[in-house]
Amino acid sequence: MISQRFTQISARRVFAQRSISLTSTRFSAPALITACKPLTQSRPAATQTVPEDEAYSILKAQRAVRPVSPHLTIYQTQIPWTLSALNRITGIILSGGFYVFGAAYLVSPLLGWHLESSALAASFAELPTAVKLLLKFGVALPFTYHSWNGMRHLVWDSGRQFSNKMVVRSGQVVIGLTVVSSGALAVYGL
Amino acid sequence: MASVLRPAAISRQTCSLVSNRTALLQQASRTRFSETLRTSYLLRESRCLSTTQRKSPSRIPSNDPVAAPFHTSARRQILPPGPQVIEGGVNDPAPVPPTSPTHGSYHWVFERAMSAALIPLTIAPFAAGSLNPVMDALLCAGIIIHSHIGFQSSIIDYVPDKRLPKTRAFFWWALRAATVVVAIGFFEFETNDVGLTEAIKKIWTAKRKEDSYVEPVLRGVA
Repeated sequence: MISQRFTQISARRVFAQRSISLTSTRFSAPALITACKPLTQSRPAATQTVPEDEAYSILKAQRAVRPVSPHLTIYQTQIPWTLSALNRITGIILSGGFYVFGAAYLVSPLLGWHLESSALAASFAELPTAVKLLLKFGVALPFTYHSWNGMRHLVWDSGRQFSNKMVVRSGQVVIGLTVVSSGALAVYGL
Repeated sequence: MASVLRPAAISRQTCSLVSNRTALLQQASRTRFSETLRTSYLLRESRCLSTTQRKSPSRIPSNDPVAAPFHTSARRQILPPGPQVIEGGVNDPAPVPPTSPTHGSYHWVFERAMSAALIPLTIAPFAAGSLNPVMDALLCAGIIIHSHIGFQSSIIDYVPDKRLPKTRAFFWWALRAATVVVAIGFFEFETNDVGLTEAIKKIWTAKRKEDSYVEPVLRGVA
Protein backbone atom coordinates (compact mmCIF):
# COMPACT_ATOMS: atom_id res chain seq x y z
CA MET A 1 0.00 0.00 0.00
CA ILE A 2 2.69 2.47 1.03
CA SER A 3 4.79 1.84 -2.06
CA GLN A 4 1.72 2.27 -4.28
CA ARG A 5 0.88 5.52 -2.62
CA PHE A 6 4.44 6.74 -2.99
CA THR A 7 4.43 5.94 -6.69
CA GLN A 8 1.16 7.76 -7.09
CA ILE A 9 2.51 10.88 -5.41
CA SER A 10 5.66 10.78 -7.54
CA ALA A 11 3.63 10.38 -10.71
CA ARG A 12 1.45 13.32 -9.75
CA ARG A 13 4.45 15.54 -9.18
CA VAL A 14 5.93 14.53 -12.48
CA PHE A 15 2.68 15.29 -14.23
CA ALA A 16 2.57 18.69 -12.58
CA GLN A 17 6.13 19.48 -13.62
CA ARG A 18 5.68 18.29 -17.21
CA SER A 19 3.37 21.12 -18.17
CA ILE A 20 5.86 23.82 -17.22
CA SER A 21 9.20 22.29 -18.12
CA LEU A 22 10.33 19.90 -20.80
CA THR A 23 13.20 18.58 -18.68
CA SER A 24 11.07 15.67 -17.63
CA THR A 25 11.91 13.74 -20.76
CA ARG A 26 15.55 13.56 -19.77
CA PHE A 27 15.14 12.05 -16.31
CA SER A 28 13.32 9.15 -14.75
CA ALA A 29 10.71 10.09 -12.19
CA PRO A 30 12.75 9.90 -8.93
CA ALA A 31 15.66 11.75 -10.50
CA LEU A 32 13.34 14.44 -11.78
CA ILE A 33 11.91 15.02 -8.32
CA THR A 34 15.39 15.28 -6.86
CA ALA A 35 16.54 17.65 -9.59
CA CYS A 36 13.61 20.02 -9.52
CA LYS A 37 12.55 22.35 -6.77
CA PRO A 38 10.24 20.33 -4.55
CA LEU A 39 6.60 21.22 -5.19
CA THR A 40 4.72 20.90 -1.94
CA GLN A 41 0.99 20.37 -1.85
CA SER A 42 -0.97 23.44 -0.95
CA ARG A 43 -4.29 23.45 0.84
CA PRO A 44 -6.35 26.52 0.00
CA ALA A 45 -8.86 25.88 2.79
CA ALA A 46 -7.69 28.34 5.40
CA THR A 47 -7.56 27.20 8.98
CA GLN A 48 -7.50 29.40 12.00
CA THR A 49 -7.00 28.79 15.69
CA VAL A 50 -10.17 29.25 17.64
CA PRO A 51 -10.09 30.09 21.34
CA GLU A 52 -11.52 27.44 23.63
CA ASP A 53 -14.60 29.44 24.61
CA GLU A 54 -15.51 30.10 21.01
CA ALA A 55 -14.89 26.45 20.07
CA TYR A 56 -17.25 25.44 22.87
CA SER A 57 -20.00 27.73 21.65
CA ILE A 58 -19.56 26.53 18.05
CA LEU A 59 -19.80 22.91 19.20
CA LYS A 60 -22.89 23.71 21.27
CA ALA A 61 -24.54 25.42 18.29
CA GLN A 62 -23.60 22.47 16.08
CA ARG A 63 -25.11 20.00 18.52
CA ALA A 64 -28.33 21.99 18.74
CA VAL A 65 -28.97 21.47 15.00
CA ARG A 66 -28.50 17.72 15.13
CA PRO A 67 -31.62 15.71 14.36
CA VAL A 68 -33.68 14.87 17.43
CA SER A 69 -33.68 11.13 17.82
CA PRO A 70 -35.34 8.79 18.42
CA HIS A 71 -38.81 9.89 17.47
CA LEU A 72 -41.71 7.71 18.57
CA THR A 73 -43.25 7.55 15.11
CA ILE A 74 -40.23 5.73 13.67
CA TYR A 75 -41.09 2.66 15.73
CA GLN A 76 -43.61 0.03 14.80
CA THR A 77 -46.49 -0.01 17.28
CA GLN A 78 -45.86 -3.03 19.47
CA ILE A 79 -47.30 -4.30 22.73
CA PRO A 80 -44.19 -4.04 24.96
CA TRP A 81 -43.38 -0.35 24.52
CA THR A 82 -46.97 0.83 24.07
CA LEU A 83 -48.10 -0.77 27.31
CA SER A 84 -45.01 0.52 29.08
CA ALA A 85 -45.81 4.08 28.01
CA LEU A 86 -49.46 3.60 28.98
CA ASN A 87 -48.35 2.39 32.41
CA ARG A 88 -46.64 5.70 33.07
CA ILE A 89 -49.45 7.76 31.50
CA THR A 90 -52.17 6.04 33.56
CA GLY A 91 -50.00 6.32 36.68
CA ILE A 92 -49.60 10.05 36.16
CA ILE A 93 -53.35 10.45 35.54
CA LEU A 94 -54.23 8.56 38.75
CA SER A 95 -51.58 10.18 40.93
CA GLY A 96 -52.29 13.58 39.41
CA GLY A 97 -55.98 13.23 40.23
CA PHE A 98 -55.13 12.05 43.72
CA TYR A 99 -52.81 15.01 44.29
CA VAL A 100 -55.30 17.51 42.88
CA PHE A 101 -58.05 16.20 45.14
CA GLY A 102 -55.81 16.16 48.26
CA ALA A 103 -54.60 19.72 47.70
CA ALA A 104 -58.09 20.96 46.78
CA TYR A 105 -59.57 19.35 49.91
CA LEU A 106 -56.98 21.15 52.06
CA VAL A 107 -57.78 24.59 50.62
CA SER A 108 -61.54 24.02 50.18
CA PRO A 109 -62.56 25.65 53.50
CA LEU A 110 -60.65 28.80 52.51
CA LEU A 111 -62.31 29.00 49.11
CA GLY A 112 -65.74 27.82 50.17
CA TRP A 113 -65.73 24.64 48.05
CA HIS A 114 -67.68 21.62 49.21
CA LEU A 115 -65.51 18.59 48.69
CA GLU A 116 -66.85 16.48 51.53
CA SER A 117 -67.74 12.95 50.45
CA SER A 118 -71.46 13.47 51.14
CA ALA A 119 -71.57 16.64 49.02
CA LEU A 120 -69.64 14.97 46.20
CA ALA A 121 -71.88 11.90 46.32
CA ALA A 122 -75.02 14.05 46.26
CA SER A 123 -73.86 16.07 43.24
CA PHE A 124 -72.63 12.94 41.46
CA ALA A 125 -75.99 11.28 41.96
CA GLU A 126 -77.74 14.12 40.12
CA LEU A 127 -75.77 13.55 36.90
CA PRO A 128 -77.39 11.79 33.93
CA THR A 129 -76.66 8.07 33.75
CA ALA A 130 -74.59 8.33 30.58
CA VAL A 131 -72.33 10.97 32.14
CA LYS A 132 -72.01 8.89 35.30
CA LEU A 133 -71.06 5.87 33.23
CA LEU A 134 -68.49 7.86 31.27
CA LEU A 135 -66.94 9.42 34.37
CA LYS A 136 -66.76 6.11 36.17
CA PHE A 137 -65.28 4.40 33.14
CA GLY A 138 -62.76 7.24 32.82
CA VAL A 139 -61.56 6.63 36.38
CA ALA A 140 -61.84 2.84 36.31
CA LEU A 141 -59.88 2.40 33.07
CA PRO A 142 -56.56 3.91 34.23
CA PHE A 143 -57.02 2.39 37.69
CA THR A 144 -57.54 -1.17 36.47
CA TYR A 145 -54.91 -0.87 33.77
CA HIS A 146 -52.26 0.45 36.15
CA SER A 147 -53.15 -2.22 38.72
CA TRP A 148 -52.97 -5.18 36.32
CA ASN A 149 -49.91 -3.89 34.52
CA GLY A 150 -48.25 -3.08 37.85
CA MET A 151 -48.66 -6.73 38.84
CA ARG A 152 -47.18 -7.72 35.49
CA HIS A 153 -44.18 -5.52 36.26
CA LEU A 154 -43.79 -7.05 39.73
CA VAL A 155 -43.76 -10.52 38.16
CA TRP A 156 -40.94 -9.38 35.86
CA ASP A 157 -39.08 -7.86 38.81
CA SER A 158 -39.10 -11.27 40.46
CA GLY A 159 -37.28 -12.55 37.36
CA ARG A 160 -40.16 -14.49 35.77
CA GLN A 161 -42.08 -14.39 32.47
CA PHE A 162 -39.57 -12.08 30.85
CA SER A 163 -39.18 -13.71 27.44
CA ASN A 164 -40.30 -11.74 24.39
CA LYS A 165 -43.15 -14.14 23.78
CA MET A 166 -44.42 -14.00 27.35
CA VAL A 167 -44.16 -10.21 27.51
CA VAL A 168 -46.49 -9.94 24.51
CA ARG A 169 -48.85 -12.61 25.83
CA SER A 170 -49.07 -11.10 29.32
CA GLY A 171 -49.67 -7.74 27.68
CA GLN A 172 -52.65 -9.18 25.83
CA VAL A 173 -53.93 -10.64 29.09
CA VAL A 174 -53.58 -7.24 30.79
CA ILE A 175 -55.52 -5.52 27.98
CA GLY A 176 -58.29 -8.11 28.24
CA LEU A 177 -58.49 -7.89 32.03
CA THR A 178 -58.49 -4.09 31.88
CA VAL A 179 -61.39 -3.89 29.42
CA VAL A 180 -63.50 -6.41 31.32
CA SER A 181 -62.80 -5.11 34.84
CA SER A 182 -63.12 -1.41 34.01
CA GLY A 183 -66.39 -2.09 32.19
CA ALA A 184 -67.69 -4.02 35.18
CA LEU A 185 -66.63 -1.28 37.61
CA ALA A 186 -68.24 1.40 35.48
CA VAL A 187 -71.55 -0.45 35.40
CA TYR A 188 -71.37 -1.38 39.11
CA GLY A 189 -73.59 0.73 41.35
CA LEU A 190 -75.35 2.64 38.56
CA MET B 1 -20.81 15.43 4.30
CA ALA B 2 -21.05 18.06 1.63
CA SER B 3 -19.10 20.59 3.66
CA VAL B 4 -15.92 18.50 3.63
CA LEU B 5 -13.31 19.84 1.24
CA ARG B 6 -11.29 17.53 -0.91
CA PRO B 7 -7.70 18.79 -0.79
CA ALA B 8 -6.50 16.35 -3.44
CA ALA B 9 -8.84 17.78 -6.04
CA ILE B 10 -7.85 21.34 -5.26
CA SER B 11 -4.13 20.61 -5.23
CA ARG B 12 -4.40 18.97 -8.62
CA GLN B 13 -6.05 22.09 -9.93
CA THR B 14 -3.48 24.46 -8.42
CA CYS B 15 -0.43 22.43 -9.42
CA SER B 16 -1.28 22.53 -13.09
CA LEU B 17 -0.52 26.23 -13.37
CA VAL B 18 2.18 27.53 -11.14
CA SER B 19 2.57 30.92 -12.81
CA ASN B 20 -0.77 32.35 -11.73
CA ARG B 21 -0.98 30.17 -8.72
CA THR B 22 -2.00 32.79 -6.19
CA ALA B 23 -4.84 34.05 -8.34
CA LEU B 24 -6.09 30.54 -8.82
CA LEU B 25 -5.78 29.83 -5.15
CA GLN B 26 -7.96 32.77 -4.28
CA GLN B 27 -10.49 31.82 -6.89
CA ALA B 28 -10.53 28.20 -5.82
CA SER B 29 -11.02 29.01 -2.18
CA ARG B 30 -13.77 31.45 -3.04
CA THR B 31 -15.70 28.99 -5.16
CA ARG B 32 -15.19 26.16 -2.71
CA PHE B 33 -16.39 28.27 0.17
CA SER B 34 -19.52 29.43 -1.56
CA GLU B 35 -20.21 25.91 -2.75
CA THR B 36 -19.87 24.64 0.78
CA LEU B 37 -22.29 27.21 2.05
CA ARG B 38 -24.78 26.56 -0.67
CA THR B 39 -24.77 22.80 -0.27
CA SER B 40 -25.07 22.99 3.48
CA TYR B 41 -28.05 25.29 3.17
CA LEU B 42 -29.56 22.94 0.66
CA LEU B 43 -29.06 20.05 3.04
CA ARG B 44 -30.74 21.91 5.83
CA GLU B 45 -33.56 23.14 3.67
CA SER B 46 -34.42 20.00 1.77
CA ARG B 47 -34.25 17.75 4.86
CA CYS B 48 -33.30 14.97 2.49
CA LEU B 49 -30.57 14.29 -0.02
CA SER B 50 -32.82 13.25 -2.90
CA THR B 51 -32.48 15.72 -5.76
CA THR B 52 -36.18 15.74 -6.53
CA GLN B 53 -37.01 17.24 -3.13
CA ARG B 54 -34.50 20.07 -3.25
CA LYS B 55 -35.89 23.54 -2.86
CA SER B 56 -34.36 26.80 -3.85
CA PRO B 57 -31.94 28.39 -1.35
CA SER B 58 -34.06 31.53 -1.25
CA ARG B 59 -36.46 29.84 1.14
CA ILE B 60 -33.89 29.62 3.91
CA PRO B 61 -35.34 30.89 7.20
CA SER B 62 -33.48 33.99 8.28
CA ASN B 63 -33.12 32.96 11.92
CA ASP B 64 -31.27 29.75 11.06
CA PRO B 65 -28.26 29.08 13.30
CA VAL B 66 -24.86 29.72 11.76
CA ALA B 67 -23.55 26.22 12.36
CA ALA B 68 -24.27 23.90 9.44
CA PRO B 69 -25.67 20.43 10.05
CA PHE B 70 -23.46 17.48 9.18
CA HIS B 71 -26.32 15.04 9.37
CA THR B 72 -28.37 14.23 6.33
CA SER B 73 -31.21 12.45 8.12
CA ALA B 74 -34.55 14.17 8.51
CA ARG B 75 -35.12 16.64 11.34
CA ARG B 76 -38.39 16.07 13.11
CA GLN B 77 -39.16 18.73 15.64
CA ILE B 78 -41.28 17.24 18.40
CA LEU B 79 -39.36 19.16 20.99
CA PRO B 80 -36.49 21.51 20.21
CA PRO B 81 -33.21 20.17 21.57
CA GLY B 82 -32.48 21.62 24.98
CA PRO B 83 -29.39 23.69 25.75
CA GLN B 84 -26.28 21.66 24.99
CA VAL B 85 -23.73 21.04 27.72
CA ILE B 86 -20.41 19.43 26.81
CA GLU B 87 -18.38 18.04 29.67
CA GLY B 88 -14.73 17.14 29.14
CA GLY B 89 -12.96 16.35 25.87
CA VAL B 90 -13.32 13.52 23.40
CA ASN B 91 -10.87 11.31 25.26
CA ASP B 92 -12.40 11.71 28.70
CA PRO B 93 -14.49 8.75 29.83
CA ALA B 94 -18.08 9.25 30.89
CA PRO B 95 -18.08 10.01 34.62
CA VAL B 96 -19.27 7.11 36.77
CA PRO B 97 -21.43 8.29 39.67
CA PRO B 98 -20.38 7.13 43.12
CA THR B 99 -22.09 3.88 44.10
CA SER B 100 -24.69 4.12 46.82
CA PRO B 101 -27.16 1.33 47.72
CA THR B 102 -29.50 3.98 49.14
CA HIS B 103 -29.96 5.31 45.59
CA GLY B 104 -29.54 1.90 43.99
CA SER B 105 -30.60 -1.51 45.22
CA TYR B 106 -32.28 -0.43 48.48
CA HIS B 107 -34.27 2.19 46.58
CA TRP B 108 -35.26 -0.36 43.94
CA VAL B 109 -36.41 -2.87 46.58
CA PHE B 110 -38.29 -0.13 48.46
CA GLU B 111 -40.12 0.92 45.29
CA ARG B 112 -41.20 -2.66 44.62
CA ALA B 113 -42.16 -3.23 48.25
CA MET B 114 -44.38 -0.13 48.14
CA SER B 115 -46.04 -1.28 44.91
CA ALA B 116 -46.58 -4.79 46.27
CA ALA B 117 -47.98 -3.46 49.57
CA LEU B 118 -50.66 -1.56 47.66
CA ILE B 119 -52.08 -4.79 46.19
CA PRO B 120 -53.68 -6.19 49.39
CA LEU B 121 -54.72 -2.67 50.48
CA THR B 122 -56.51 -2.26 47.12
CA ILE B 123 -58.13 -5.71 47.07
CA ALA B 124 -59.36 -5.66 50.70
CA PRO B 125 -62.05 -2.96 50.28
CA PHE B 126 -63.47 -4.82 47.25
CA ALA B 127 -63.92 -7.85 49.51
CA ALA B 128 -64.97 -6.10 52.74
CA GLY B 129 -66.83 -3.04 51.39
CA SER B 130 -64.39 -0.52 52.88
CA LEU B 131 -61.35 -0.36 55.15
CA ASN B 132 -61.11 0.35 58.86
CA PRO B 133 -59.54 3.74 59.65
CA VAL B 134 -56.01 2.43 60.26
CA MET B 135 -55.88 0.42 57.05
CA ASP B 136 -57.47 3.31 55.17
CA ALA B 137 -54.79 5.70 56.46
CA LEU B 138 -52.13 3.16 55.46
CA LEU B 139 -53.63 2.99 51.97
CA CYS B 140 -53.53 6.79 51.68
CA ALA B 141 -49.92 6.95 52.88
CA GLY B 142 -48.95 4.12 50.51
CA ILE B 143 -50.58 5.84 47.52
CA ILE B 144 -48.83 9.13 48.39
CA ILE B 145 -45.40 7.48 48.65
CA HIS B 146 -45.98 5.45 45.47
CA SER B 147 -47.10 8.61 43.63
CA HIS B 148 -44.15 10.60 44.92
CA ILE B 149 -41.70 7.95 43.68
CA GLY B 150 -43.52 7.79 40.35
CA PHE B 151 -43.42 11.57 39.88
CA GLN B 152 -39.73 11.58 40.86
CA SER B 153 -38.98 9.00 38.16
CA SER B 154 -40.88 11.05 35.60
CA ILE B 155 -38.97 14.24 36.49
CA ILE B 156 -35.64 12.38 36.34
CA ASP B 157 -36.57 10.98 32.93
CA TYR B 158 -37.91 14.14 31.29
CA VAL B 159 -36.01 17.03 32.93
CA PRO B 160 -32.29 16.26 32.52
CA ASP B 161 -30.23 17.64 35.39
CA LYS B 162 -27.18 18.31 33.23
CA ARG B 163 -28.95 20.44 30.63
CA LEU B 164 -31.68 22.08 32.66
CA PRO B 165 -30.41 22.29 36.25
CA LYS B 166 -32.73 25.16 37.24
CA THR B 167 -35.84 23.56 35.75
CA ARG B 168 -34.95 20.28 37.43
CA ALA B 169 -34.52 21.99 40.81
CA PHE B 170 -37.86 23.78 40.34
CA PHE B 171 -39.77 20.58 39.56
CA TRP B 172 -37.97 18.67 42.31
CA TRP B 173 -38.92 21.16 45.02
CA ALA B 174 -42.40 21.72 43.59
CA LEU B 175 -43.00 17.96 43.85
CA ARG B 176 -41.81 17.90 47.46
CA ALA B 177 -44.06 20.82 48.36
CA ALA B 178 -47.01 19.22 46.57
CA THR B 179 -46.48 15.92 48.36
CA VAL B 180 -46.44 17.64 51.75
CA VAL B 181 -49.59 19.62 50.89
CA VAL B 182 -51.38 16.50 49.65
CA ALA B 183 -50.32 14.51 52.71
CA ILE B 184 -51.77 17.19 55.00
CA GLY B 185 -54.89 17.31 52.83
CA PHE B 186 -55.47 13.57 53.17
CA PHE B 187 -54.73 13.71 56.90
CA GLU B 188 -57.57 16.24 57.11
CA PHE B 189 -59.77 14.09 54.89
CA GLU B 190 -59.12 10.95 56.94
CA THR B 191 -59.70 12.83 60.20
CA ASN B 192 -62.85 14.76 59.27
CA ASP B 193 -64.49 12.62 56.59
CA VAL B 194 -65.50 8.97 56.20
CA GLY B 195 -62.18 7.72 54.80
CA LEU B 196 -60.95 7.18 51.26
CA THR B 197 -62.43 3.76 50.49
CA GLU B 198 -65.78 4.57 52.09
CA ALA B 199 -65.93 7.90 50.25
CA ILE B 200 -65.18 6.24 46.89
CA LYS B 201 -67.86 3.64 47.60
CA LYS B 202 -70.38 6.35 48.49
CA ILE B 203 -69.71 8.35 45.34
CA TRP B 204 -69.44 5.29 43.09
CA THR B 205 -72.82 3.91 44.13
CA ALA B 206 -74.56 7.28 44.55
CA LYS B 207 -78.15 7.19 43.30
CA ARG B 208 -80.73 9.87 42.78
CA LYS B 209 -83.10 10.35 45.72
CA GLU B 210 -86.30 9.92 43.67
CA ASP B 211 -84.89 6.68 42.22
CA SER B 212 -84.70 5.11 45.66
CA TYR B 213 -88.19 6.47 46.36
CA VAL B 214 -89.79 5.30 43.10
CA GLU B 215 -88.38 1.80 43.23
CA PRO B 216 -90.43 0.35 46.10
CA VAL B 217 -93.62 1.86 44.66
CA LEU B 218 -93.02 0.23 41.27
CA ARG B 219 -92.16 -3.04 42.96
CA GLY B 220 -95.39 -2.82 44.92
CA VAL B 221 -97.44 -2.21 41.76
CA ALA B 222 -95.82 -5.11 39.92
